[in-house]
Amino acid sequence: MNAPTQPRTRQRFVQQLKLERWRVWFILAGLMILFGVLIARGFFLQIMDEGFLQQQGEARYARTLKLEANRGMITDRNGEPLAISTPVQSVWVSPRSVKLLPPGQKRPAGWEPSSEKEPVPMSREELAQLAKAVDMPVKVVESRLSTSRKSGDKPDFVWLKRHMAPQDAKKVLELNLPGVYAQTEYRRYYPAGEVTAHILGFTNIDGKGQEGFELTRQDMLAGKSGSRTVIRDRRGFIVEDISTIIPPKDGETLTLSIDRRIQYLAYRELKAAVEANKALGGGIVVLDARTGEVLALANTPSYNPNSRARIDPARRRNRAVTDLYEPGSTMKPITIATALESGKVTPSTVIDTTGGAMGMAGYTIKDTHNYGALTVERVLVKSSNVGTARIALAQDREFLWQHYDAIGFGQPPRTGFPGEASGKLRAWKTWRPVEQATMAYGYGISVSLMQMARAYQVFATDGEIRPVTFTKQVAPLPGKRVFSPEVVREVRLMMEKATQPGGTGTRAQVVGYRVAGKTGTAKKVGVGGYTEKRYVGSFVGFAPVSDPRLIVAVMIDEPHGDSYYGGTVAGPAFSNVMAGSLRMLGVPPDAPTDNILLPGQDEPEVPEET
Amino acid sequence: MKHIFYQALRRSRPSMHAYDVALLWGVLILLAFGLVMVYSASIAMAEVDKDTGYRSTYFLVRHSVFLVLGLAGGFIAFNIPTKTWQQYAPLLFIVGVILLALVLVPGIGREVNGSQRWLSLYVVNLQPSELMKFIVVLYAADYTVRKAAFMGGDFVASITKGLLPMLVVMLVVGGLLLLEPDFGAFAVITAIAVGLLFLGGFDWRLFAGLIALLAVGFVGLVVSSPYRMQRVLGFLDPWQDPYGKGYQLSHSLIAFGRGEWTGVGLGASVEKLSYLPEAHTDFLMAIIAEELGFVGVAVIVCLFAFLVFRAFMIGVQAAKLDRAYQALLAQGIGIWFGVQSVINIGVNMGLLPTKGLTLPLLSFGGSGILANLVALGVLLRVDFENRQALRGFKP
Repeated sequence: MNAPTQPRTRQRFVQQLKLERWRVWFILAGLMILFGVLIARGFFLQIMDEGFLQQQGEARYARTLKLEANRGMITDRNGEPLAISTPVQSVWVSPRSVKLLPPGQKRPAGWEPSSEKEPVPMSREELAQLAKAVDMPVKVVESRLSTSRKSGDKPDFVWLKRHMAPQDAKKVLELNLPGVYAQTEYRRYYPAGEVTAHILGFTNIDGKGQEGFELTRQDMLAGKSGSRTVIRDRRGFIVEDISTIIPPKDGETLTLSIDRRIQYLAYRELKAAVEANKALGGGIVVLDARTGEVLALANTPSYNPNSRARIDPARRRNRAVTDLYEPGSTMKPITIATALESGKVTPSTVIDTTGGAMGMAGYTIKDTHNYGALTVERVLVKSSNVGTARIALAQDREFLWQHYDAIGFGQPPRTGFPGEASGKLRAWKTWRPVEQATMAYGYGISVSLMQMARAYQVFATDGEIRPVTFTKQVAPLPGKRVFSPEVVREVRLMMEKATQPGGTGTRAQVVGYRVAGKTGTAKKVGVGGYTEKRYVGSFVGFAPVSDPRLIVAVMIDEPHGDSYYGGTVAGPAFSNVMAGSLRMLGVPPDAPTDNILLPGQDEPEVPEET
Repeated sequence: MKHIFYQALRRSRPSMHAYDVALLWGVLILLAFGLVMVYSASIAMAEVDKDTGYRSTYFLVRHSVFLVLGLAGGFIAFNIPTKTWQQYAPLLFIVGVILLALVLVPGIGREVNGSQRWLSLYVVNLQPSELMKFIVVLYAADYTVRKAAFMGGDFVASITKGLLPMLVVMLVVGGLLLLEPDFGAFAVITAIAVGLLFLGGFDWRLFAGLIALLAVGFVGLVVSSPYRMQRVLGFLDPWQDPYGKGYQLSHSLIAFGRGEWTGVGLGASVEKLSYLPEAHTDFLMAIIAEELGFVGVAVIVCLFAFLVFRAFMIGVQAAKLDRAYQALLAQGIGIWFGVQSVINIGVNMGLLPTKGLTLPLLSFGGSGILANLVALGVLLRVDFENRQALRGFKP
């Protein structure tokens, strides 16, 4: 140990300390090794294990923020907004980070959380302030703040009040309460309210389409929300963006074929007609005769889609598309056109309707009057059930079925609406003669108002039928020929006469335009067969006759007023809507302005029974 | 050929300075690093803390004042001959023990974060344990020189006369420190005392036994106190309870991971944004690692290694000149800086349990900076006297 030159000494005097060099090197080397270990550890942490550590870090302070996509606007054909999204604030609370204090206690000034997880105490005064700011009862706010999951732990996110006006939400945030936050959301607003309710539908509070086009075009309108990952400091402020921002893809604008002005008019007139006739409800469809575009579609009763109150499901029904009814006499022009097409009759062929009734297999087909012998044209004008039945019975049932089918009965019109009704058209092989006869004047067959309006395209377009569409078309879709132009021209003239004195639809006339159309009054099917007091009155027609531009179909459900005849209950609404729409579209008149020829005082209106 | 080469080498040597220029620069660089990083690490925290009056420069201003005071203290220490330090070492030691005892007196001592370590002196708070580290160096070096006769040789005598008095004294100091508690200071002071005894030539076989005994004692202390137990367990796997016991360490490690090679850039640390507690004191290294990266960490570690190396070399030089006290003084300071920086950085890196020990020269803290700079003044003084002796002066 000691160098051999140094004799060992046991003397008691103060001795010079002998310092050995190896001990210095021993300790120095030890320390240097430790420094080396530090560098190695630093290398491991910073260069090799950095992935795991950074991931842990991000788990602590990175937050992925959702960037809401703005829901696409829905506009009418002229770009007028029908549905728009406006930013609103939704207030939420974090029950996990708030602890309600017993009454009387206050949070000490300068209170600091001792750990990350400790909830911030909130006094009763603060709770009352919060309840006042969000305009909710204190009890409700308290229960939201004390929400707990089944497992016992408290959630981090509970909505307190959604869709507040930005200035109201600002007041809430200005209270500077712990655990209370706000988030921007978009609220859907429908400027036209109940007028367009059935077409557009509405969105739920989360911005998801629930009905109408909001539902069927959800993907297109919703767009895609983006995201942004940020680093936040411990107090929640955003310090840095750490990943590329995925920008939200805003929803596309949906341009409908609807014309807002016509829509307003149609809804107003329908509502007036339903109220005047004390009816249950009604529907109206306005089609562009040339393109098959829907210019207006309205139903009553309607609802206000801007209100978040619970909507009665009955009011939500888009009757014109989803509800079926028996069309009654509005079916007759189709039957007669088919008969003319077959060549077995001509407009001047005389049909015997003597007696005004016809018995068939225990069932009696009746007319309102005994018309005697009628030409085919007069059968339509007078809306004779017996005449129509006789004409139909003279036809081949397969031939009839083919035309009913081609005109779209028994098939959904494929307008893109949810719950579209397809109606009922039975296979021709199962038809019995009595059915063949009643179907001819619109009983035993069910259609939707939309199908009926579409069917009348054949008369407005020289015999062609097109799919109806709610989206604005650049060019009309190709049509399918059902009737020859000659037949159509003949029927069109008959239908024009039906709106003139001696016809059933005189109230459908429009000043300055020649109008063609057909009334319909059908008994509703109830329990155990047709009811006596419940009718569906309808009118379907088009104008101007010289070059048809618009088809309007009006249906009034269960009128309980003075009259229930289609010509009386639906005719005036048809007339007003047609007149207003033609003028709005600037369609040149094809008749002198004194063309209105109502039946004289002594000459009664021609009623009809189907 | 060969002698021409040596001649050239000799010529290329710089002229001999009166003091160790390289060491001084190393210290100044570390101090500058510390000033910048204390500001960077504290700025976000000071801004939102009502205790600082929401002033972001609160810690910067204070740290600067401490640096000025510390440098003045170091300059004064440099001008005091080492003989004087040796002469007053026992007295200073008694003063230090009294101060440590005073800390524990209620009303005089001040408690922060569950530890009673500070003496309230109206304007500033004094942390006697920091000064005690320096005093222990002075005292242990003097003790070892005084007990030179019992360092080697007779086995029984070296235990009873060499080791036992030191052991008793250190038990008193250690006991006071553990009462605060200041486990970190206890570890450093123990390391200094034991290291100096070893360097003084104390029988190495006894050492082996002593170290084994100390290790058992350490484990015993850790296991007996739930407070220390918790700290130890938290460090073994911070990811087991990253929001509780392992919170501080896990955030420290995350800061290291975020730094990678060159760091996220000065001022860009996220951990300092109220996530990592004590970012400007005990966990300053983590912020350095995050903002300056592995490069920054390596530079700091190398500077400390250089400082320690120089201290030991100054000690070796002193030993060559038969200046045993000065040699032990220099090496004691080397052990102090070495052990404290290794422990602090090791804690930051998750190699050691969290102790509450600052990074010498860099961390915020007046008493620590003052003690560090006074000690370095003494170290430079030892070197200065060495150089004087080499030039033929009798120090």
